[in-house]
Formats: sequence, C-alpha cells, structure tokens
Amino acid sequence: MREIVTIQVGGFANFIGSHFWNFQDEMLGLAADQTADSVFKAQNLNMDVLYRTGETQQGTLTYTPRLLSVDFHGSLGSMSSLGTLYNDGFSAPADVITWTGNVSTHASEPRKKNLFLQSLYQEENSINGGKDDSLNQIPQKDIVDCLDKDVHCWTDFSKVHFHPQSLYELNGLWMDIQEFDNYGIGRDVFSENLRGEEICDRLRFFVEECDHIQGFQFMVDDSGGFSAIAADFLENIADEYTNTPALLYTVRGSGSHLNLRSRKQKVVRDLHDAVSFSRLASFSKMIVPIGLPFLSESKVSSFLHIEDEKPYHCSAVYAAALHSASLPFRMEMPGPTADSSEICGAIDVNGIVQMLAGQARQNMVAILDVTMPAPGLTGTEDQQSLLGNLQSLTPEVVEDAEDLQVVESLIVQGAFTEGDHRASVSEVKNAVQAAYERATTRPMFCHLSTALCPLPIPLPFPSIFGNLIGQQGELLGSPILGSQSRGSLDVHSIPMAARLRSSSAVLPFLENRLENLRKFGINRGAPGTELLRSWGFGKDELEDFGETLSKMVMTLKPDFERSSDSD
Amino acid sequence: MSLRVLNPNAEVLNKSAALHMNINAAKGLQDVLKTNLGPKGTIKMLVGGAGDIKITKDGNTLLKEMQIQNPTAIMIARTAVAQDDISGDGTTSTVIFIGELMKQSERYIDEGMHPRVLVDGFEIAKRATLQFLEKFKTPVVMGNEPDKEILKMVARTTLRTKLYEALADQLTDIVVNAVLCIRKPEEPIDLFMVEIMHMRHKFDVDTRLVEGLVLDHGSRHPDMKRRTENCYILTCNVSLEYEKSEINAGFFYSNAEQREAMVAAERRSVDERVQNIIDLKNKVCAGNDNNFVVINQKGIDPPSLHLLQQAGIVALRRAKRRNMERLVLACGGEAVNSVDDLTPDCLGWAGLVYEHVLGEEKYTFVENVKNPLSCTILIKGPNDHTIAQIKDAVRDGLRAVKNTIEDEAVVLGAGAFEVAARQYLVNEVKKTVQGRAQLGVEAFADALLVVPKTLADNSGLDTQDVIIGLTGEHDRGNVVGLNHHTGEPLDPQMEGIFDNYSVKRQIINSGPVIASQLLLVDEVIRAGRNMRKPN
Repeated sequence: MREIVTIQVGGFANFIGSHFWNFQDEMLGLAADQTADSVFKAQNLNMDVLYRTGETQQGTLTYTPRLLSVDFHGSLGSMSSLGTLYNDGFSAPADVITWTGNVSTHASEPRKKNLFLQSLYQEENSINGGKDDSLNQIPQKDIVDCLDKDVHCWTDFSKVHFHPQSLYELNGLWMDIQEFDNYGIGRDVFSENLRGEEICDRLRFFVEECDHIQGFQFMVDDSGGFSAIAADFLENIADEYTNTPALLYTVRGSGSHLNLRSRKQKVVRDLHDAVSFSRLASFSKMIVPIGLPFLSESKVSSFLHIEDEKPYHCSAVYAAALHSASLPFRMEMPGPTADSSEICGAIDVNGIVQMLAGQARQNMVAILDVTMPAPGLTGTEDQQSLLGNLQSLTPEVVEDAEDLQVVESLIVQGAFTEGDHRASVSEVKNAVQAAYERATTRPMFCHLSTALCPLPIPLPFPSIFGNLIGQQGELLGSPILGSQSRGSLDVHSIPMAARLRSSSAVLPFLENRLENLRKFGINRGAPGTELLRSWGFGKDELEDFGETLSKMVMTLKPDFERSSDSD
Repeated sequence: MSLRVLNPNAEVLNKSAALHMNINAAKGLQDVLKTNLGPKGTIKMLVGGAGDIKITKDGNTLLKEMQIQNPTAIMIARTAVAQDDISGDGTTSTVIFIGELMKQSERYIDEGMHPRVLVDGFEIAKRATLQFLEKFKTPVVMGNEPDKEILKMVARTTLRTKLYEALADQLTDIVVNAVLCIRKPEEPIDLFMVEIMHMRHKFDVDTRLVEGLVLDHGSRHPDMKRRTENCYILTCNVSLEYEKSEINAGFFYSNAEQREAMVAAERRSVDERVQNIIDLKNKVCAGNDNNFVVINQKGIDPPSLHLLQQAGIVALRRAKRRNMERLVLACGGEAVNSVDDLTPDCLGWAGLVYEHVLGEEKYTFVENVKNPLSCTILIKGPNDHTIAQIKDAVRDGLRAVKNTIEDEAVVLGAGAFEVAARQYLVNEVKKTVQGRAQLGVEAFADALLVVPKTLADNSGLDTQDVIIGLTGEHDRGNVVGLNHHTGEPLDPQMEGIFDNYSVKRQIINSGPVIASQLLLVDEVIRAGRNMRKPN
C-alpha cells in the first residue's frame, strides 16, 4: 500500500480540500451504488491511499480521510472539530466530575446548519432510525439554491465525516482573519504555545499507521499568515520524514490582489509573495503555485460561470484539477507489463517529483494546467482540442514559451472520443500521441495517465457549468435554453484533463518575485527593509531568499546574469 | 488634528475617552476571569457555536478559547499568557491585578490627577514590593534530597484550585514524584521528560504515575507478542522501509526481469539492516528467555515487521522524537542512528512491555525499569472533558514543583503575601515618598488586595469583613491568610498553603508595566475599521 497523507493549511486550502473530499466521497458512494453508471464500479483506483480504516471505542468501523487540516478558530462553522463519528452519543456531560464547586455555563449562539447540512443530518438519522425518510425531505433544488446563496465556511458544503484528529483549530490568536494577511504576522504562530508540537503529533498519528507512505499532499493558502505556519510545518516534516516527498500546492483565492489601495499595501503584498514563495520552496521538493487573480475571466472558465468573489466557486475548479492530478497516485499498480482496461499510467508521488523536478534541469516549480470539462478527443472544430484546451491555473505564466526541455505529466479521465462515446484507454493514448506528433512544439517527455472514470459531480458542487455542457459533461453544439449556469442537478459527471508541467513558462512568476524582493527588500534604501525587519528577517536571510529565487530562475534561463546585483 | 488631514477616515479618541476605553477593557477582562480564582472559584463550561463543549478552570485555557476583539484586552491577555509561558501559573492573577490597578487609577484620575503621577507611584511601589517579597519569602533548602513535604504543599495548593480535594491530593503525590524522578543534580529540570499520556478509560481516580514510559502506539504486526517480560530495548532512528534512493533515482531497465532484480537489490539493503538487529537479538538472548523490543523513530514496513516477528522481536515504528530521549532516560542504553555496529551496550532494559488496546487506539507500556530518569503520568477519565481538566491541573502542578526547586523559596499563600505587602506599602513606603506619587503607591497597595478580596468573594464571604480582619491581624504582627471556609484568618504556614515565588514576582513585575502603558495612552488612533462598533 502506498498511502498519502493530505495536509491543508489555511482558509482557501480548506475550501479546496472540502470539494476534493466531496469528490472522493462521491466516488466511494457511486462505487457502492447498484444503480450508478458502470464506469464508477470497476475503477481500479485504490481509495485506501487517501482514506484510513478505523474503529471507535464502541467497535464501529469508520472510514475517514487521512487528513490534517489547520485553520482559524471558528472557521469550522457548525461542524464540531471532533467530528461526529467518535463521540459516543453523549453531547453534554451530565455534570462536571472534577470540580465540586460552582459551574457557570457560557454558551455562544448555536450556528444554524444550512439546508444542505440539515438534509445530511436527516439522511443519517433515517438510516439509523429507519423511518420518516420520505416525509419531510428537503428538495434537492432548494439545497443547491441555498448553497449558491450563502456559503461562509468550508464546512457548509462538506459531506464528509472527519476523524477527530483531522481538524486542528488555531486558538489564542485573538485576531480577525482579515488581519492575518501577511507573512510576518504568522511567523511565530507555529512555535508559540506548543502549537507546532500538537500539529506534528497529529500528523504522526496518521503517518504511524501507514505501512509505506508514498508522500504528503500539502495544500497551503499562501496569501497570508498561514504561509509562515506552513513553512515551519514543512521544515519540521522535512526533518522528521526525510525521504518522504511532499507535493506542495500553494493556493490562493481570486481577487486577493484587488483591494490594494495604497502603494504601501502593494509593497507589503509583493514582499509577502516573494518571501512566502521562497520560504515554502526551500522546504519542499516540488511546488505548484495555483490561483489565478481573475479566474472567471481566464480561459480556464470558457465553459464555466464563476463568480470570483465566491471562494466556494473558485475552489471547486482547483479541487477538480487536484483530484485529477492525484489519480495516478492511487491507480492499482499492475504487474510491470500488464495494463488494465480502466486505467493506465500509475505513478507515485516520488515518481512525479523525480520526473518533473528531478531531471537534469532540477526545476522544482511546476505548472498545473486543466481543461474542465475536457473536450472530445476527436474534436470537430479544432484538431488538437484536448491539448489545445489545457489552460494554466498557475498565475503569471507565459502562454507560448520556447522551451525544448519541457517535462509533463498528463492525466486524462473519462474523456469522450466524440459525442458521448467514452474513449477507451488505448484510444486516449493514441489520440494524445497523434496530437503530439502533429504539434509544432512537443515536450521532451510526457507521462500519460488515463482513467476511464470521469469526475463525479456531488450535490454540493456549485452551479458553475455553462449552458454548453451536457449531463455527462459532454460539450453540446447549441446552448441549452433556460438557466445560465447549471449545477450538480443537471450535470452528473464531467471528463477532465489536467497536466503538471515543468517548463520555462513559469519564468515571469519567478522573476517577478525576485525583482520585487530586490526592489523592495534588498536594495539600499528599499522601502520594505523596515517592514521585513519587523517580520524578523535580517539582511542575510533576505539575501538567502534572493539566492534561492535567482537559482530557480537560472535553472530555467541558463544565460541569466545576476545583472540586478549591480544596481 | 494633523492626522485628519492625512487620512480623513481615521478615527481619533481623545484623552479621557481613550483612557476610559482602556480602563473598561481591563475591567471587562477582569470580570470574566475573576470568578475563576482560588479553591472556591467557578469552573466554566463553554459551549461553542457548533455545540462542542470545553470545560475549564484554567485562566490560560479560558483566555485562549475566548474571541477577544478589543485591542486593549488583547494586550492584557497576551501579558497573562506570557506569564503562563514563563512561570506556568498566575494567568488569572495577572489579569485581575492589572484590572484592579486600572480600577484604582480610575478613581484618582476622575478626581483630576494626572496619570503620569500615578505611574511614578506605581514604579516606586513595584520596586518596594519586590524588595519586600525578597524578605517575605520562605527559603527552602534544596540539597540533594529536596524537602518532599514542602513540594507537596506547593503542588497541593495549585492542584486544589483546579480539581476537587480528594483528586487533587491524589495527584499531588504523582506530580511531586514525577518531578523528583526526572531531576538530575546540577541540571535544570526538563519537564518534557515527564510524558503526559491520556486514555479515555475508567475513572479520574485511576490516574497514575508510570515509572517508565507509555507510548501511544503499538506494534503493527498481528502476530507480535502483546506482553513480554524481561526485555532488552533497542531505541533507534533507522529507516526499515523500502524506499528508492534519493540521488539518481531513475531505474533504467529494458525488461521486466531486470526491473525485478533492481527492486530486489534495493530491498536487500533494508533486509540487511533488519538482519543486523536480529543478529544482536540472537546474541543477547541466547541461552535465556529474555525478550527483545525495537522502538524505532522511522518507519518499519510490513516485510521488515514480518522478519522481526519471525525472530521473536516486538517492533514499534514512528515513535515520537521526544520519546527517543525519554526511552533512553527511562530504560538506559543509547539511541542509535545506524545499525551497522550494534553492541549490547546500546540496549536498555525493561521488566515488562505490554500493549493495551482501546478501539483503534493502542498503548504500549514500558514498565519495571531500573533507575528511571523519565516517567509518564497516565491520565484516565471517562470523557475528554475530565481528561482535559486533569491535564491542565497536572501541567500546573508540575510547573509549581519545578519552580519551587529552582526558586529555592516559596511564598505564603491564601492572600497572606498580598495583605502583608499592602500593609508594608501603606504603613512604611508611603511615608518616604514625596508629593502626589504617594497616591500612586496607595493605589498600587489597594490593588494588591484584589487577590484576597476575590478569594473571599468567590467563597461567598463578605469582602469588607474579611479585609478588615486580615489587615488587623497583620497590623498586630501576625502573618495570616484567608480561610475560605470560615472567612476567619488562618496561618498559611500551619495549613501548608504556599505559592511559587517566581510566579508572584512575575505578576508584580508585569502587572504595573502594562497598567502604566495603558494609563499613559492619551490618544487612540485607528485608521481602519470603527473600533466602537463590533464588526
């Protein structure tokens, strides 16, 4: 078994995670459902890679994500941090047995569960109680509408049961999430009050039970103070689990750059980005920055209707891409020569990291591209439709980079050949090969993973599909009349393609950070020196960060001179 | 105001409004925490928005659970939490002392006194109080054999403010013995060497001290022995997991056989490491029926577990990093980072190693060790709330014992010190001070009384009666504290009520500093959100 432990740090990372686990839960549900489409039955995907089997003290078996989530105190909304699986029926202790004196109760206003969570709760009780299931059921339409209107926390749309060790809340910070917005403010949070110790202990709980861990899947919201927490955490992981690779996704929501009113705020932001990126990069083997500033206007969402200001919407797209990217890790490894008819291209985390970041060039920054939904393989209008439609989720990337050393890992799931005919594994292989042969630029190396099973759309998925998308996620010739955006009630599954790519196209991303660091932080008289000192960084450390970044640039641009050193 | 020109949105509170904002915040926080103090305090049950419940009587825990918004309150809370970090106790006392200093100051400021004068008085009073504390403290000689009775009294005083008496008394022995167990002469005490482990099992009174170690995991092989006696313990940090080598990880193979061969070669190096351990086992266990236990910080994969099991070895993987240190202190031997040249000298010894399973949670007990320098406090309780409260209490108890050993002094408790210091300030120091700073000294002296006052208040006694009774006794030269049962004065020395010297000193030190800073604020500027309205 090749287990993966998933770690989510910070608000937006948890939003993505919530969608991600909803997909997994939906897959598990469909695999067990008699009436579901047969592609979901024999997936040849091993869910034990992401999930763990446990047992409560009462002997009930549980199956929960192998997950550690770190977030603000109060970010769990109406969900209890202990989950519901393991608290054996009693919610309030009858009396306090350790104290004979007075007891005073301070109850905060109970958080109302939204319609979706109410329906989950009902469903569970009707399974346990076995009655009253058809009477006052909440119509699914209302649930979808309600979720579309207000989602405050990631727990509002999560349908997964978590293990009590999974959800860690940071308490005693005494600040608003809005104030927790830069690297400096989160710097000591991990080490203070033994928080780091507890977080690491919880991680150890999940790692100890792994027979053979293949890696960590680490998502961090790097737009604020959580980046500092994650960096400290990663440092600890690198130290404790030296040979276990961490696949790091730095994520951020859309519009986080919007409200920069003054120049000073811009300097703070730019320095944060530079420091945060170089710190995180120095503790991981491969880093994938994702999060476009304007997702709704990007080419990714040509078939989607996304509202940038809703993290509930944006995170769904990223989660879908991460889901596809994680598929190869849980494909059952067949014998070295055998191939199954449902999947091909199994690889483990270490394999991906070595392939993309460990080659001659040692470029550890990868780009994530996605097409959602994936068009048919033999698309009518455009000959290389599938490849041509892959759009980057990584910001600040050039579109047509001249790079002869591109290495990529392409994942296609549930693609159609044409119309709604599901393409077989070999058809996908041939199509991709043919497409690359026709293409003018092709990568040095491409690893292809294919799964027959498409991405299932769970009920709490936001209504972000445009009216050109059919029930199976196929692209229609003419728009469906009626509503602008379609959701989980109309679209049941979609084909996806995602690609992790190591290419020099990421250069602007790196160069911007390096330049900002120099301009605002390192150069003499830079406006941000004072600020960085208050974050606890001396000149030496800053120069180290600069060094890290310029090394990353240099691997991609051999003729890059450290020209800006002179000015 | 020039700021208005720079930023028309900025909000400015003028002098008296700013001051009152600070004073009210301090008083507000004091009100929340005040009922916590002492053996008659109130335990608080906090019900969160999601219906989850936290029960605590610990000021530190309570502060962390609160969503404090007011900037002044946050400043006080940070000071109080820092107090806990430094000295392990006194969070509640710090908050109520700061609150009381602000409250006393308010009286004088409302009468038109300048905060600066008060602050000067605070400074004088603080220095005098610290000097007085040096004279007042009861020195304790901590030679090679510390006076166990005094340690017990200090621990009991702390524990009784957190748990009911019978349980507190039971834990007193546990806590004192735990600290004495890990204490090494001439070295600072590292409380991390006391492991605190909890099991949701049985009752609170089943909490006990394990001389040895309790690990929160078990062996991961179904056929390994669950109970072994007379065990050699090998503590190591060696990967017994098949992993691809880091450098040049590319496998170059042209057919399936080659690939298999390369995998087998990789596997072999792991097996060799396992074999080294088995060889050592065979060497030391030959001719006797002793057992062998491997506790590894790194992973052990199923094939390696199988080999070890075949050789009759019990193996645990992914032990906590700190347990590596604890194991060596508890069992002897040394932690090895390589299994290349193992000798019997590396091995520790334990009389009994056994596993206990509760649902999915496994516990491994390493007991009956020789001369342990590390130990475990095993907390038991029927539910998480009980466990959490005992944990808070144990933590405070351990710190109290450690402080006593390191301070080599204790201070009479039950409010005796505060009353004595107040009388000293009022009767002696005040006269030596010139001018209006006298009033600052007086405010400080009165603020000290907040501790006995709150103790009395929480016990349902009449505050005025109690204070008059106590000060009267002190003026007659008797150092007395408050008997919270009767409201009568008592002799803390006789009753065995002692507080930590360092905790008291820290409170006297940090309280006035924060209070002074807050009093000297004469303008509050906030160029962001509105601070009057909660958002």
